[in-house]
Parts: sequence; C-alpha cells; structure tokens
Amino acid sequence: MLEVHTWEPNANSGKPLFCLHEKGVPFTYRYVDMGAHEHHAPAFLAVNPDGTIPAIVHDGFTMTESTPAMEYIDEAFAGPALRPKDPFRRWQMRVLMRFMDNVVAPSLAMIASNRLAAPRFAGEDPDELRRKLDRIPLPERRSTWEKLMFQATPPDDIAESERRVSDAIRRFDGILSREEWLAGESFSLADICVFATFYGLPLAREDEVNDAASPHLMRWLRACHARPGLQAALKMGKGFVTQRAADVRQKLGVAEAAA
Amino acid sequence: MLLHYAPGSAHSAAVRIVFAEKGIEPELRKLDMVHFEQHSSAYLAINCHGTVPLLEAEGRKLFESFAILEYLDETYPEPPLIGGDPRQRYIARKWGKYVETHIAPNLAIARWAALHGRMPAEAQAGLANLLPERCALWLRAIDGFDREQLAASTHAILAAGQRLAGDLANNPWLAGDAFTLGDAAVYPHVAQFETLGLPVPAAVAEWLRRVAARPSVQAIREDLFPVAVMGPEPGRWG
Repeated sequence: MLEVHTWEPNANSGKPLFCLHEKGVPFTYRYVDMGAHEHHAPAFLAVNPDGTIPAIVHDGFTMTESTPAMEYIDEAFAGPALRPKDPFRRWQMRVLMRFMDNVVAPSLAMIASNRLAAPRFAGEDPDELRRKLDRIPLPERRSTWEKLMFQATPPDDIAESERRVSDAIRRFDGILSREEWLAGESFSLADICVFATFYGLPLAREDEVNDAASPHLMRWLRACHARPGLQAALKMGKGFVTQRAADVRQKLGVAEAAA
Repeated sequence: MLLHYAPGSAHSAAVRIVFAEKGIEPELRKLDMVHFEQHSSAYLAINCHGTVPLLEAEGRKLFESFAILEYLDETYPEPPLIGGDPRQRYIARKWGKYVETHIAPNLAIARWAALHGRMPAEAQAGLANLLPERCALWLRAIDGFDREQLAASTHAILAAGQRLAGDLANNPWLAGDAFTLGDAAVYPHVAQFETLGLPVPAAVAEWLRRVAARPSVQAIREDLFPVAVMGPEPGRWG
C-alpha cells in the first residue's frame, strides 16, 4: 500500500505527487490542509512526528525527506526511469536538486509565504498564534512560522532571497540553453524538483520569466506543463494551486492533456 | 582522478573513506585550511565555492561531497555502498541530506565558538573573492555568532545525536546491516563532537567506535581533527 500524506501539488509537498504521476504509480492521496495547520495536529504527527509534509508511507515504511523519497519511488516502482543512467549526469541531477532544496526553494518559500500567508495572521489573537507555534515540533520550523505569524522576517532576508531566485532563474536559463532538460537529454527528478516550485513563475515573476528575458526556461516550462503526468498532478489540488497552474498553461499557450 | 582535499575537513574525509572502501587511490592535492588555502585565488579558479573536497574526474570538476560519494559508487560499483535495497538507499540518502542541512552547518558554528575561531586580516581581505553567500557567512563568523544562534546550533547537534541513536537502535550501521555512504558521510562530522565537548548517546558512541575500526577510516584518522572553518550555510527558512 502506498499513501502520500501531503498538501497541494506545490514545492516539497508536490514532489511525490509529480513523481508518482510521471511513473504512473497508483497511490492514495491523504490531503493535509496546511492552511488549517493540520500538519501540526495529532493525526498527522502520528504519521510524521516532525510535523513536516510530505510523508510517504509504502508498506509500513515512512519517508519524510522529499528528494531521497523521489529516488526511492524511481527505484521501487515500475514505469519510466526518472534518473539518467550515466553517473556524471546523475551527479548533475543531484547537485541541482541540492541547490534547489537548500538555496532556491527556501528563498521562494520565504518570498511567497511573506506575500501570501503572513498578512492572514495580522488580525489574529497573539495568544492563539502562540498556542499554534507551541504545537510545531521542529525548532527551525517554529522559528520560521513565528516570523510569518508576527510579520518579523527581516527585509534584508527577503531581499537576499530575491537575489538568489533571480540568480537561479538566470542559471537555469543558461543550463537549458545547452541542454534539453536540467540533467541532460532526458527528463529527470531534477526537472520535477525545479518544476514543483517554478511552475507558477510565468505569473509570479513575469518580469524575469518571459520569452524575451529567459527564453530557454520558458521553452522548458512549456514542455513540463504539457506533460500529462505533471498536469495530472497539478489537477489533484484542492486549493489555489490547480487554478493557478491552469492560468499559467493558458498564458503559455499549453494545451490541456487528455485525462 | 585528482582529489583536492584538506586535513580537518569532514567532507574531505568522507570522500577519502569511500575511495579507500573501494580500494582506489586517487591522486591527492592537499590544501591547508588553517591558512585558508581554500580561499586562495589559485583554488577559487578551480572551485568558485572555495570549499573542499573537489574531485577532478574525466575532465570534469565535481563538488558537493555526497553527490561525489554517489558518483564514485556508481562509477566503481564494487563493493556497493549505497545500500542493498530501496529502503536502505533512502536511509543512506536521508542522512546524506541531513548532514548537510542540520549537522555540518551547526557543527561549524559550535566549533568556531569552541575553538575561538578567528581570521587574520590578510585572509579577510580575500573574502571579497568568494560567492556572496559564502562571504556573508564568513563575515557573520568573524563578527561572532550571538548567544541565540549558538544555543540553536547546540540544540540541533544534540537533536542530531538523538536521531542517529534512533536509526542505530536495532542496527549496527545507519541504514541497517551494512556500512553505507550514509555512515561515511556522517561519521567524520560526529567524530568531532567529543573533542568539542558535545555529548553523544551511547548507541552513537558505539557506532563511532565501529566506524573508527574500519581500515578505510584508520588510514585517515590523523586528518579527523576539528578546524575553525565555516561549513554549509545554515537553513535560512526552516
């Protein structure tokens, strides 16, 4: 039995969803409503005591690190290979995923959550917010949520995140000017890892992500959005992500894949 | 193959351990971190990150130590070190990630404080040649980490010890019944804990002795000392 406890098809939360749809592996989607802080509630903490999403449970084996879990999915199930065969290409794939996980995705998360989530907490009772914070098991996650709930992210940190994201956009555009996919000639986990946070950038950062400024990244985004597997995963959402992805497809002129 | 490495660099030690496990002797080029040779313009021309190790193989320059370990395991499959089944491989890779996100960055901060790290003025002048995020991290170190950061780093290290003990509760090695890249990646960092006065649970102490007894580790044991240098950047957003 394969269960994915996660939120929307977005960022880390979406990585297993994208990966399983690309492999064509059936699974049960257990929706965890992050907006309602369900990932810090007892039912989910029983699955992952760290209170982080996603959690993937395969025949009783629980995985909570999304990138190593994607390699597991590629190894444990049939379906198209999502890693190149050549060891150097695999090195490229893994270095890129590490850069994404440690540098780019947290920067984008800081920017997006300060823009979208932080304002929602502005009118809430501080004592109630403190109670919510106390339920977060990992100290590094607690301190991040604290900054969001009390609008305390230093502006310099957000500016530095902006710099890093712009730098990554240029860097990926450069790679994609030489290669078809991020780790070479075949679609791989590196593409999933980046697409999971980049799918919406033609709308969210349209000054940088457009046909004039980053044509190679745009070519790649169209190719990813057109993939039936990635599209199907994006359509699984229960919140704003699914509509957002449809808006991006329309903007990019990408057709809807047959269901 | 040519490996640029530094004594005292835990990431370098992990790569050297795996080379020895594979029975391969790369050509070695030693850098002196005590004198910040990893920031020299000659080395930055080879590796703009100013970090060790760096492996030159097949005309390419490979950085990011756990990705190097996987590259070596895939290029030289005997003996296999990533784990015997997908579960073991997941656990090995989970530790490969955890050491970068939780152990190494916090160890570097605790170590800088414990060893009273400092950087001479001539080395500070060279920081401008580093990538902006590396330069910023070094400037934070030179200013001195505040009490709150030191407490968070110490807490993270103690939590890492508990987590290691959890995976070692029923197993001799982190991923189960066989030594893997996960053990090789984590060991050189945790081997510094005791010297720095950071306690480890009993199961971890036993594992440290088991790893230390391996010939591959014996061969480099003199290079496992702590040096006051920065590690990977601590997480900026949870």
